[in-house]
Amino acid sequence: MIRLKFYGLGGQGVVTAGEIFSGAVSLFEDKYAITIPAYGHERRGAPVNTSIVMDEEPILVNSFVYNPDIVLVMDPTVIDKGVDISEGIHKDSKLVINTADEKVLKRYKEYGFKEMYSVDGTAIALDKIGRGIPNSAMLGALAGTGLLKIDSVEEAIRSFFGEKVGDINAEAAREAYEQIKKI
Amino acid sequence: MAYKMLNGNTAAAEAMKLAKVQVVSVYPITPQSPMSERLADMVASGEMKAEYIRVESEHSAMSMTMTAQLTGVRAGTATSSNGLALMHEVLSMVSGTRAPVVMPVVNRGVAAPWTLWCEHGDSMAQRDMGWLQFYSENVQEVLDLMLVAYRVAEDERVLTPAMVCLDGFFLSHSMQKVDVPEEELVDDFVGPYIRKNGYLDTKDPMFLCGLCGPEDYTEMRYQQKVGMDNASKVAQEVLEEFEAKFGRKLEIVEGYKTEDADVVLVALGSMCGTAKYVVNKMRAEGKKVGVAKVTMFRPFPVDQLRKVLAGKEVIGVFDRSAGLGGQGGPVWSETCAALKDQSSDIRHYVGGLGGRDVTIDNIEKIFNELLEIKEGRRDKHTQWIDLKDNPMEIRQVIKNV
Repeated sequence: MIRLKFYGLGGQGVVTAGEIFSGAVSLFEDKYAITIPAYGHERRGAPVNTSIVMDEEPILVNSFVYNPDIVLVMDPTVIDKGVDISEGIHKDSKLVINTADEKVLKRYKEYGFKEMYSVDGTAIALDKIGRGIPNSAMLGALAGTGLLKIDSVEEAIRSFFGEKVGDINAEAAREAYEQIKKI
Repeated sequence: MAYKMLNGNTAAAEAMKLAKVQVVSVYPITPQSPMSERLADMVASGEMKAEYIRVESEHSAMSMTMTAQLTGVRAGTATSSNGLALMHEVLSMVSGTRAPVVMPVVNRGVAAPWTLWCEHGDSMAQRDMGWLQFYSENVQEVLDLMLVAYRVAEDERVLTPAMVCLDGFFLSHSMQKVDVPEEELVDDFVGPYIRKNGYLDTKDPMFLCGLCGPEDYTEMRYQQKVGMDNASKVAQEVLEEFEAKFGRKLEIVEGYKTEDADVVLVALGSMCGTAKYVVNKMRAEGKKVGVAKVTMFRPFPVDQLRKVLAGKEVIGVFDRSAGLGGQGGPVWSETCAALKDQSSDIRHYVGGLGGRDVTIDNIEKIFNELLEIKEGRRDKHTQWIDLKDNPMEIRQVIKNV
């Protein structure tokens, strides 16, 4: 069982990213993934998170993720908004972050994740989609860590967004998959 | 069969489409709103061949649904929390006129305090209104139990409306892989709606539900009781047919590793999945625990629960509603009554209120307490299992006191 937690801001498609991820794993990889979204009073711009559980077997547990194996940060500024993205992490937890800014990466290094991966998903989204919504790019980035296949991510994105919007989002995912760097 | 990614809201809407519901009247309320929106979209696009009647409240939604059903069509609505509370008087109208409406209920606590989040307090408050109640463990079960509910509710021996309950957010907004059956297979299982009692005809108007004096009222209620009693047997038949046709086994009460269990926890809804996970975790550590999952709460499955809990000395019951003023929550009270001739020690747990997560840790804590009680190493248990240490200091009023 792999437990994931996605952090970001309202409006960045954090919950949608979780849903597309669970589709990619469940429909295109012959595994299972469910989302357990934490809805609050959030508005656009407020910190949000979503929990995802992934496994080879059908998933029984229906409870939030408290000890994530993988943390995905869609917006690095969440840590300035009262969010501790390292909450509950363990010695093998990995971080995937949407930034290429060295100063930001330096701050995130202090959290002590075993592995860190980074890519500027927002820049890729602006380039490929024309809007700075990084969720598709960051799903491609997750594929770049070896967690799932990029083909599954692309298929799930296309089936979620439909053909035209799906294609440019899938391109953003592929680009982030290729650009992602292990720190 | 095809796999689709659905959440509880879209799964319930999908089931209503598959059952060819012809009249839809839904008032949106969080966390059910995406379901009402999905139904509206499907009617607008023609994907669902139904009338969508817009209303100004849940009271009207339920009234529209009931009267539509009484003209001899399958009608549908859905609600949650305060919306269900507003339907209260119409719920009894629906069951008393024997209109077998099937309604998804997205479980959410009832205000005050205002909450948007999951607990079973809303549907438990309606448990004596003459409706069948099913509780879903996961999104697949939402779809499956909806299909089962149409068959049970509409059966001539039952003619009793049904609520299919799904936990707010934990199911309504959880994206899961669901095996969606082919339309033909569902047609064959659910079939077209066939009215089995009096109906309304606009060409030949008549008054339904007139005043009923004390000379007949008791017998009318007794007829409902017989329908309710029959529902258990009918549900058993329908679930067997469902398994043969769709390959998925659902049980009125599911005993999960209960046979050799030292202690058993009775639960319902999405927490059952987490509890099963904990059972497997603890069994790997050599602790023999099990879960009794109550899928059908109304009628209360006395015989099925007794079978699963036979001979168990220590039993825990998890109520996801507070049961204020009662000796305990509704699931605990019913369990005690079902086992009244058995000398079991039945412990009552309350938790998961207003969206508080029912965690792996808390269920493990319950099982460990029950095991200690069984071994004679513990007397008291933690009734409010997830209560903070300072409950009386929370949100203290400081103004105008």
